[in-house]
Amino acid sequence: MNPLCKPWEHALSRRQLLGAAAGVAGSLGLSNLLHPVAAADMQKKAKQVLFIWIDGGMSQLESWDPKPNTLFGGPFRAIPTSVPGIHVSELVPRSAKIMQHLAIVRSLCTQDNSHSAGVARIQRGDPKNRGVTYPYFGSAVAKLLGAGTSGLPPYVWIKPGSSGFIHQDAGFLGPKFGAVAFGDGKPPENLVLHDSVTPADDDERNVLRAAANARYAKNRRKQVGEATSYVYDVARTLMKRQDLFDTTKFDPKDVERYGTHEFGRHMLQARKMLEAGVTFVKVNSYGWDTHGDNFNGHLSLMPKFDQAFAAMVQDLADRSMLDNVLVIAMSEFGRTPRINGHIGRDHWPEAWSLVMTGCGIKRGLAVGETNAEGTWVKNQEFDIGHMFHTWFTALGIDPAQTQYDNGGQPLPIAHDGCHAVKELLS
Amino acid sequence: MPDAKDIAKLYEPKTSTIITAEPQVSLARFSPCGKLLVGGGYDARVRRWNVAAEGMPELPALEGHHGWVEGLAFRAEGELLFTADSWGQICCWSGYTEDKPAVKWKLDQAHDGWVRTLAVNPDGKSVASCASDRCIRIWSAEDGAKQFEFPQSEFGNLCLKYAPDGTLLTGDDRGIVRHWKADGTLIRQFDASSLYVLSRLQDVGGVFALALDKEAKTLAVGGTKPVNGGTVVGVPTILLFDLATGEQKQKYDLGTQNDCYVADLQFHDDDFLSAVTYGTPGSGQLIYLKAEEKAPLLTYKQMQNCHSLSWHPDGKRLAVAATNGGSNGNGRPVDKEGKYKGNNSPIHVFTFST
Amino acid sequence: MPRMASFFLLFLAVIAPSFAPLAPGQEPLHARMDALIEAKADGPLAAQSANAEFLRRIYLDFAGRIPTVDEVRAFLADADALKREKLIDKLLAGEEYPRRMGQVFHVMLMERLGDHKEWQKYLQDSFAANKPWDVMARELLNPSAEDQATRGAALFFSKRLENYGQNPVDVPGMVRDVGRLFMGIDVQCCQCHDHLFVDDYKQEYYQGLFAFVGQAQLRQGESFPAISEKPLTKKVEFMSVFVKAPKTVGPYLPGLKEVEIPVFANGEEWEVKPDPQKKIAGKLKFSTLKLLSEQLPTADNQLFKKNIANRLWWMMLGRGLVHPLDMQHAGNAPSHPELLDLLADELAARKFDMKWLLREIALSKTYQRGSQAADDAAAESPRASYRVALEKPLSSEQLLASMTTATCETARAKPDELQERFAKAFANPPREPEVEFSPTVKAALFYLNDSVVLGWLKPAPGNLAERLAKTMEPDELAEEMYLAILTRVPSEEEKKDVADYLAKHAANREIAIRNLLWSLLASNEFCMNH
Repeated sequence: MNPLCKPWEHALSRRQLLGAAAGVAGSLGLSNLLHPVAAADMQKKAKQVLFIWIDGGMSQLESWDPKPNTLFGGPFRAIPTSVPGIHVSELVPRSAKIMQHLAIVRSLCTQDNSHSAGVARIQRGDPKNRGVTYPYFGSAVAKLLGAGTSGLPPYVWIKPGSSGFIHQDAGFLGPKFGAVAFGDGKPPENLVLHDSVTPADDDERNVLRAAANARYAKNRRKQVGEATSYVYDVARTLMKRQDLFDTTKFDPKDVERYGTHEFGRHMLQARKMLEAGVTFVKVNSYGWDTHGDNFNGHLSLMPKFDQAFAAMVQDLADRSMLDNVLVIAMSEFGRTPRINGHIGRDHWPEAWSLVMTGCGIKRGLAVGETNAEGTWVKNQEFDIGHMFHTWFTALGIDPAQTQYDNGGQPLPIAHDGCHAVKELLS
Repeated sequence: MPDAKDIAKLYEPKTSTIITAEPQVSLARFSPCGKLLVGGGYDARVRRWNVAAEGMPELPALEGHHGWVEGLAFRAEGELLFTADSWGQICCWSGYTEDKPAVKWKLDQAHDGWVRTLAVNPDGKSVASCASDRCIRIWSAEDGAKQFEFPQSEFGNLCLKYAPDGTLLTGDDRGIVRHWKADGTLIRQFDASSLYVLSRLQDVGGVFALALDKEAKTLAVGGTKPVNGGTVVGVPTILLFDLATGEQKQKYDLGTQNDCYVADLQFHDDDFLSAVTYGTPGSGQLIYLKAEEKAPLLTYKQMQNCHSLSWHPDGKRLAVAATNGGSNGNGRPVDKEGKYKGNNSPIHVFTFST
Repeated sequence: MPRMASFFLLFLAVIAPSFAPLAPGQEPLHARMDALIEAKADGPLAAQSANAEFLRRIYLDFAGRIPTVDEVRAFLADADALKREKLIDKLLAGEEYPRRMGQVFHVMLMERLGDHKEWQKYLQDSFAANKPWDVMARELLNPSAEDQATRGAALFFSKRLENYGQNPVDVPGMVRDVGRLFMGIDVQCCQCHDHLFVDDYKQEYYQGLFAFVGQAQLRQGESFPAISEKPLTKKVEFMSVFVKAPKTVGPYLPGLKEVEIPVFANGEEWEVKPDPQKKIAGKLKFSTLKLLSEQLPTADNQLFKKNIANRLWWMMLGRGLVHPLDMQHAGNAPSHPELLDLLADELAARKFDMKWLLREIALSKTYQRGSQAADDAAAESPRASYRVALEKPLSSEQLLASMTTATCETARAKPDELQERFAKAFANPPREPEVEFSPTVKAALFYLNDSVVLGWLKPAPGNLAERLAKTMEPDELAEEMYLAILTRVPSEEEKKDVADYLAKHAANREIAIRNLLWSLLASNEFCMNH
């Protein structure tokens, strides 16, 4: 034991010893406790999720399940992909080239055709109604997988619009499992060190604070100290990771590859968050509800999605991260085969698609079929509950053995009438 | 020449016959001889109706295209009909009034993708096409040989139109109209960029329609002033420019945000401009304008979404292709046999007695 | 436990007659409280709180802020053996008590759903007049738009009747809140079926309560919160999702009789007909809200009186005798059932005089126990044993008032704007009861980087930072600082650390003082009530 360290330093929680970012650990003289190899190992085994939410309803007919030259097929063509037998819309050529990494599900049939309820139901896995508000997938994974060793919040949301701490996603799990949202790449309020405080001062004042807390903790319950330590640790880790959201620090080559548009920027930031070890990163893209001008709309939107999505998957593969990171891209429903007078497509939960890859997922295949006109599912109909079962299983969480405990009320983590789709699991 | 007051009366849409086409026909044009109404739509077929005969019977449809047929142009000499589809194919048919017109020539990949508009040079020797692949190409009317390729545009072009002197006007999806000489020299640009907006990720709007008056003095540009992407809403807008100078002379706001797009424009020989709009399902307008008047001469709202308009060469008939009412909805509409229902196009053919 | 037995217990709890009030010669309530607590403590009790500890705690609980340095010095110097009791009475009679209680009940009843000037006025006026809780409950459950003094009470319902975006009005949430906040029972699950785990909660509890409040409507266009009521013409129909047998129930409260719904001819339901054009909301002959306000808040309603007793206990002690506060049922027995009965009955006998009960609690040894145990092991004693005083989180309101008091910035601070700023950083999201300590990353970042908070640490005329800047003697500085922020004198070790730190940073004294100030203000000791 270092003769210079004070007794109170050993009252720190185990979480802090393992999880503190180098900055805090260094200032407390603990960095030599983290065995470098062990840390890297832990990083390697840690599972993460990238959840790309295409809000409004991406058209499956203009993306993953094209029906070219049919009654409802619309103007676009289909193109072959790197996987023989699988064709996708001409609007996603880059994804087509990396189809060997991807798994498409074409036979989703879900219950809700409204945005207001549908978005939440899908992101909650639409479990059976047990009178509680279920957590969104991100909050669920934050709870089930934990924050890992990054010292960063377990659930980060990159979205257009405002930043902040979004508690709603957490449902009955409580606000602790909500999302930390970066709106347009900007961090939540107060994330940047105030300009009246130098980093050295910041370290000093926090050392003083920790000392005061250690004194206070004497002969008192541990709970208060542990809880505040954790939030301050995460706060300070976030503060030290400006590189995660200072877009001027992004490599210009990456920026060009992902696209200078909003979605490209946000996906690049998401990759940085994943590289930093955030357990669950959600990226939102809004404006896909093309009830009007669906075709010019998707002509403009899809290639931008395609560019960033393909760049991300390729980057994850190149960085050997694809086996640890579960990647999902989806909407709350698809779009109607029928084309309306606004030259648009309306909502269609009856037969739609999503794409996934990564941790635990078999790659280079398309599961489920719709009929020739794309109106209904022909075989292997799945609800979102099946997807949740599949995703949890892919992450190494067994839905049959794992339950939430909501103040004594046991709750399944996914719809108990559904099951994992074996074909999708590697 | 009737004046403003008279136009509204003379050309008031009162009498019409409706041709119902299934599925939707997004573009319908009278042939220059006045005998046919030709339509292209979502089922890759070219539809034809004999409007000279009683009851406007349909002739056999022309097959061979893929996707959507949105390019239609005629050359009276030789009864040539040029058609183009969204897969990039251009086809030339001869004898378009015959039951089975022959395929004079065909280009499978005239463009890489969605051909938006075709136009025939007034000298009859060539046909121009523009597409989402950002290319503008000129083809020989006789055999489809490529005569000229404009330098690739920065953005996709949505429509084009020949001026009587053989110069070409193109409108892109960012709201810029360009006036070209036949050799590719740019004469000038017309700024209609108010017809475009970048909403989040989506490029919304552009030049949806172009029209030139009889004297080729006034250029009319139509589209929307878009508010947002996704379910696009915006006020239908027409800008009038002086063709010779490029100066914007007038701007018309034609409706509410729900009325959205000016889909098609045509000047009538009696010196008024007609336009159709479509927007949120149920919002469709037929509008007449005169350059000197600030307000429309007529606004007719009894049609559901209107996508194209065409005046008969005799100036006494007007065909408006629209979409049926009740065309939208998130539900699953099924017909009596339980089959999923699509939509159709009522093509309104108005007759005016002048 | 067999179903019949559990039902019988609830039956007893609801129907059984109340205890007799305090007879002369009997022990004061606080002594009886202590006896009941100590009887079940089952382990060594921590020492009683030191004066400084008590002072801080009672100020936070009754005045909503920490005491000033002068107040601390005066209390610690006071030799009067009865000084604690006198302080209690002084604070209860003081101006800050109504504001503090208004804040407590605002957070409890509205759960951050919204606010309104008239609502704040209603609460503060009610506590200034020491309005009994049953009277307040009546005004909350059946607000009167005509009575200017009490019309603000309508916010309880009106805020819950508002639309949020595309979402429908959350009527089930409103029904649930009436049950939770006025009777201490959460019947949310009973909307669709009898509670799966709580035998006592039947579907009738939810549906019967729904029959009472389901006709309430938001009244738009008024400058004050207002609701109106539609007539209830028939019983509520419902069916369990498990047992498909259709049932009906009229307005019904647990343990009481179901209310008969009178039949009126069409149009005859109104005593005063509503006229939207003249802005007349109308008055029903048969008003379920009026009946609710008459039936629910009574001295005989066990659930009602236990709920308020339990919540006032929680406010002072940091944990409900029934915990969570809205889960009163046979399977979640109170930690001290006799005590809960006692408090409930005594309060009811005193006509729901809340100030009286709070005073009794404050006088008890249980309340005045120290929050530091004899050792770390003793510190982890079960919370419900009250062997050690429980730490209570500070509300965002208490934090703001305490921070400005500590830094001597109260005069300069603009309360309304700041209240919102602090609520944004510290308060829970809407509908999350602020009962447990749940620190957030957002709050930590606020402490670390908020301009206003950091601004208070800079010397300005009359504030603590300025005073400390002028105090050259380190021990004097340390004492001033600790008294101001932590309401106590520093230990020898703490004084030494301050002196060492200041010496080390003599070149940059202002920053050093600022760092010290911040570290104490951001410390757990400051942001807890202990």
